Amino acid sequence: MAGAPTSFLSLKGPPVEGGVSELGVSRLSSVLAYREVGVLAAILGFLAAFAAVNPSMLSAEAITRVLNLASDRGIVAVGVAFLMIGGEFDLSVGSVYGLSALTFIELVNHGVDPLLAVALVLAIAAAIGVGNAALTLYGGIPSFIATLGTMWIIRAFIYVYTGGLSRFAEADLGAASLFYRELAGGLATSALIFAAVAAVFHFILTSTPFGNHLQAVGGAPGVARALGISITRVKTLAFIASSVLAAVGGLVYAARFKSVEAVTGVELPLEVIAASVIGGCSLQGGVGTILGAALGALLVSEISVGLVLAGVPGYWYIGFIGALLVVAGVINQRLGWRGE
Amino acid sequence: MPPLIELRGIVKRFGAVTALKGVDFHIDHGEVVGLVGDNGAGKSTLAKIIVGYYKPDEGEIYYEGERIEIKSPAHARRLGIEIVYQDMALAPYMSVWRNLFLSREVVKRIGPIRILDKKRMREMARSFLAEIGVRRRDPDAPIGKLSGGERQSIAIARAVFFDAKLVVLDEPTSALSIKETERVLDLIREMSRRGIASILISHNIYHVYNVADRIVVLDHGRKVLDVEKDRVTPEDIIDVIAHRKTPQQVLGRG
Repeated sequence: MAGAPTSFLSLKGPPVEGGVSELGVSRLSSVLAYREVGVLAAILGFLAAFAAVNPSMLSAEAITRVLNLASDRGIVAVGVAFLMIGGEFDLSVGSVYGLSALTFIELVNHGVDPLLAVALVLAIAAAIGVGNAALTLYGGIPSFIATLGTMWIIRAFIYVYTGGLSRFAEADLGAASLFYRELAGGLATSALIFAAVAAVFHFILTSTPFGNHLQAVGGAPGVARALGISITRVKTLAFIASSVLAAVGGLVYAARFKSVEAVTGVELPLEVIAASVIGGCSLQGGVGTILGAALGALLVSEISVGLVLAGVPGYWYIGFIGALLVVAGVINQRLGWRGE
Repeated sequence: MPPLIELRGIVKRFGAVTALKGVDFHIDHGEVVGLVGDNGAGKSTLAKIIVGYYKPDEGEIYYEGERIEIKSPAHARRLGIEIVYQDMALAPYMSVWRNLFLSREVVKRIGPIRILDKKRMREMARSFLAEIGVRRRDPDAPIGKLSGGERQSIAIARAVFFDAKLVVLDEPTSALSIKETERVLDLIREMSRRGIASILISHNIYHVYNVADRIVVLDHGRKVLDVEKDRVTPEDIIDVIAHRKTPQQVLGRG
């Protein structure tokens, strides 16, 4: 390592006043600082509540349904949370998700090899990620607005191309059908992909220099710049990650339903940003974990399954997510490291 | 021996405004120079040129006698130039160890993958905290939970930790209590003893006077005074900044 630390300061003198150093306090607050604790409690609380209304919520079938439902949404939430920790939004993930499912199905229907189609879909998504990054970083538009724009542009393309109708996969999806295949016990491969994606991105965020830089760029861009970290490079890679993971989610959808609707993914941005915030991501950037966002996606899916089993009309679903989002936002603000 | 860094005829324009109008500046190894002046005098602009944030429009920079161009903050850090900003040096939501090693992470390599060596960084951070006298020794504590003085001590000492030759301190004491300020000024003196030069930018002339070997006064983008501390009083410096005395009046008396 360049500039290896060799010289320590050896100053004698009284310690600086004002630091809190009570061990007990720091232990307690460090447990509370793990924001996953809150969302985990919510998952268990809702499980108990739904089970009280309908005991079949605890059945293996219901649990695998939650996991399968959480998987494509969770994969997208991981990317959105990753980018959000880097201080930027991606509202275009729902449109990229829909576009990816559509492009994949259309390519396969036109005789393109399914694996080549996967590669093309991911490349298109990466290009959209670069576009979002360019609009935000070079265009100087807040990413909220830039990706709101690309969200509508891509969605309009989908509407125009499909005429507002569905498309069905007519050819065999080949190896690409592995994006969603139910295994023994009903658990789908997509849940395993979700777990793997979450593990990899958790590792990148917490255990690599890039993850360190991403946290700094999101939470303290001035500091990052002063220390010589390229904000453009770090954020561009995070935009690409968000877009590519949205495409993976879309591929899971296509492999599962072998069809795509013009409105596929329209509600996804709300759901995945909610999942990220519920999981402890700060809208201001710099704060949050991948594990939290993944658990947030799990909670969102648990609620959607639970409401069905409880016999609540499906229209209530988004209301629940909205309420949960608001509560999580308030709790995060209280728990936050912000405004000490 | 040539000065550690020397700037000649530095001009910096921002649109129609000329922030620096041909400033000469130098600092030797281990020297402490106070850079003072009223708001808009060009102190921060000069500092940002030294740390690679801005490129001068005109003028030359020599580092240890060699003509160079400081291309970026990263380049400045590689040269051994560090900056400590008021509240800008540390990322508040990140832990002590992550801050300490930010952009200079200690890594293990597994094939092409670079993985943070967290154990080693935590250990180093812990002994580092002990050595600079920070009472809270938990390297996993978020920086934002530390006191202002502790944060500033960490920011300054980080520079030493990474073998800086020059540390630029922009208003390091403005948000600190008296006791914390003393601690920071102690750190600057200790750096000087170790041969590390410091440029101290502050509105508080008494803090500057307390530790500086030499004081440079800027006024509307020009250097109006460059004097060994022993030849002037703090009141002289304040009078020059406030235009109550000319630099000649102050120097003539010495």
